[in-house]
Amino acid sequence: MAFVNLQNVTYQYPLTKTPALQNVNLQVNEGEFVAIVGPNGAGKSTLCYTLAGFAPHFFKGEMSGTVEVAGKESSKSTLDEWVLNVGLAFQNPFNQISGAKYTVFEEIAFGLENIGVPREEMKSRVEDAMALTGIRDLAERSPYSLSGGQQQRVALTSILVMRPKLLVLDEPTSQMDPIGTREVFGTIRKMAEEGMTVVLVEHKVEWIAEFADRVIALKDGSVLLEGKPNEVLTSELLAEHGFGLSRYTSTAREAKKRGIWKKKICL
Amino acid sequence: MHERLSFHIKRDSVIHKLNPLTKLTLILALILISFTSPWYWTPHVVLLLAVIPLSGLGRVFPEFFKAATRLILPAAGFLFLMQAFFQPIGEEVIFKFYFLDITQESLMFAFRNAMRVFVMISAFTLFLLTTHPSELMSDLTRRGLPGQFAYVIISTLQILPQMQAKAQTIIAAQRSRGLDTESTFLKRAGSVLPLVGPLVFGSLVEVEERAIAIEARGFTSKNSKTSLHEIPDPSFEKTIRWALLMLVILSIAANLWLS
Repeated sequence: MAFVNLQNVTYQYPLTKTPALQNVNLQVNEGEFVAIVGPNGAGKSTLCYTLAGFAPHFFKGEMSGTVEVAGKESSKSTLDEWVLNVGLAFQNPFNQISGAKYTVFEEIAFGLENIGVPREEMKSRVEDAMALTGIRDLAERSPYSLSGGQQQRVALTSILVMRPKLLVLDEPTSQMDPIGTREVFGTIRKMAEEGMTVVLVEHKVEWIAEFADRVIALKDGSVLLEGKPNEVLTSELLAEHGFGLSRYTSTAREAKKRGIWKKKICL
Repeated sequence: MHERLSFHIKRDSVIHKLNPLTKLTLILALILISFTSPWYWTPHVVLLLAVIPLSGLGRVFPEFFKAATRLILPAAGFLFLMQAFFQPIGEEVIFKFYFLDITQESLMFAFRNAMRVFVMISAFTLFLLTTHPSELMSDLTRRGLPGQFAYVIISTLQILPQMQAKAQTIIAAQRSRGLDTESTFLKRAGSVLPLVGPLVFGSLVEVEERAIAIEARGFTSKNSKTSLHEIPDPSFEKTIRWALLMLVILSIAANLWLS
């Protein structure tokens, strides 16, 4: 049985007229790295919130269908139980800083303090997580003195340190330069290889192509297409529905149209 | 970029090493004794023999002196003048300024009250200089203060300077699009609305996202919380706290007995 299992999930936020997710069926295996792509308003962030238990536990609203992670059902758990298994990091790093801590080291330990991890274990877990994401040198800095990219690494580390079974990331590299992005994708890939299941929303399709195991394309709250990165990201269907393509795919497609490129569309 | 709103100065001193609750008890005791002791010179003695030496012991005297002369002295001085001129007590006028009279009694009254205020603000300044806010909150949470309450206090200290920085960014952005924020009062008042809107609505969105972020890190977990920093509370400090409490009770009792 899949580690993450969504069956006929439809979710509508309060005070809205149309569902943000419609009849979504999704399975992710343990240790798999799945990327979600889609245009704005496709329901990517809502899918992240649903996996992380915030829809409907935090946002309320109407939900039908079932969301299961590691054999547990979201509707039968409370949010504080759910977050022990599922970690969520999202786009805006500034708002993910707790505001309760004065150094990066303390900030990363914040979640472990909340769930009652003993002090010595806490320190070693924070050290390990910081080494993993390459932010050891920021340990004594104030989280508010960091650049957007550094804050994003701190936000990611703050979730990784909790050691969730499922890691849900909503554009975790949006403020990073290409070098930082490559490093973070490498870290996420490594976590997946060590058994962590990863669901990642990202617009940078070149990186998805290189690192993800599988891609799911969302459109208007429903799954449009899923499969291997090179199959999905070069699909004609995505281009027809206005998805952002990699520059290589766009160039190859244009070249094929003009008869210059005879082979398969590449990524 | 404003980083934080904290007066804490990291130093290796006896005062810094005290448990935050002991420090809080100490400064509250000094303030209460200054206000309740029936002896006229108590606040002066507390300042000279307790607060100032403690700032030296805490190795924060230069910072303490700067705060005392720039902030506390003007506030206490203003209070002194107001009370000296406007307190209608005493007969013997020793100084006259137009229709305002200063009597010996009003002068003495003003001097003691100004000194009490001086002790109060300077003791709190000393506390803030030598106590890390997160250590104070961790210790108070461990002793039963609700975590949410501690979070609200400490995050406000950090988030306020960030909001101030954001307001400056919005002002700069609106000014670059021609908004007048520097001419007459009426024009400036009219300019407030386009500045307040983005700041307030932006802050509301931030609050929601921050709530999600801390929930995702187990903020409402029912597990008992632990603390990264060990905050020692040796038994002699408990004795100190009880002794301070006794001194306050004695001061109040003396006040009641003599009045």
